[in-house]
Amino acid sequence: MELYIGGFAQGKLEYVRRQHPGEKFRILDGADRKLEDGRMDGGRLLINHFHGWVKGLIAEGKDAEALTEMLAKEYPDCIIICDEVGNGIVPVEPFEREYRERLGRILIGLAAKAERVERVSCGIGLRVK
Amino acid sequence: MSGSAEEKTGRKGDEAMVILVTGGSGSGKSAYAEEVLASLPGTGQNYYLAAMKVYGEEGRKKVERHRRLRAGKGFVTIEQPVDIGQAAGKMKAERPSAILECMSNLTANEMFDGEKRKGSQQTAEKILREVKTLSEHLKHLVIVTNNVFEDGIRYDDTTMDYMRALGLINRELARMADRVVEVIVGIPVVIKEGR
Repeated sequence: MELYIGGFAQGKLEYVRRQHPGEKFRILDGADRKLEDGRMDGGRLLINHFHGWVKGLIAEGKDAEALTEMLAKEYPDCIIICDEVGNGIVPVEPFEREYRERLGRILIGLAAKAERVERVSCGIGLRVK
Repeated sequence: MSGSAEEKTGRKGDEAMVILVTGGSGSGKSAYAEEVLASLPGTGQNYYLAAMKVYGEEGRKKVERHRRLRAGKGFVTIEQPVDIGQAAGKMKAERPSAILECMSNLTANEMFDGEKRKGSQQTAEKILREVKTLSEHLKHLVIVTNNVFEDGIRYDDTTMDYMRALGLINRELARMADRVVEVIVGIPVVIKEGR
């Protein structure tokens, strides 16, 4: 597994493609919510906007942690791209606070499993693992 | 964590360290702060200086989680939401070490303490003065702060002034620290090493 984290519009997907020239991906967008539908074929799974997937699950009261665990087990070679959302003023709305905390913890778990973790800023990756 | 403090700094093992740990919400900076303090040589009694004022169920849960993390690690907790310098007088042990968590709470508490809100400059100066007092009393001091600066939102003037205060404090603490570490998804990234 590989994890790429960084702010909005920092060129994460493009950076990932540059790191894997010629590789075919089955790209899923976190906003699409198709991840729960089971096994997918057609190249290495790349999940873009992972934060959107987690946010949607939390909003629906689902166990985002357990579903992430399943995802990591089912697709151990997947690539996950996620926005950094924790580097801000702690939001007033309880849901937003919970989302940031839980996404942060989920990412720590994924980073621990990943063989490669990079933080992308201005289109440039900094490999932290 | 790989490598001892001595390997990383080339310093003698008996030297005192000030370490600044930054990161966002849920980045794993608390766990790292404990880990790094445990890795430093010659810590006597460890204190946990808690700056958070506890409000409501969510606050209590947060404190609970942090208490669980620290359980069995021999920390003595001192609640010090304002006047952090006073924590020095509350430590009974000789040359103890401490984690101060979290600078974002301490800054808010100081700024909004009393009837009249303090300005960013005044807030920063008071905290920095008191942290210096505190660090002189301690062997190792690990300060946890918060990266609240990167959500691109233009907040109201009061919040912006709070952010300015915390920014000032973080910069000055980073200058005086022997090591500055940013924790990203639980992974420590050293951004400054050596004074």
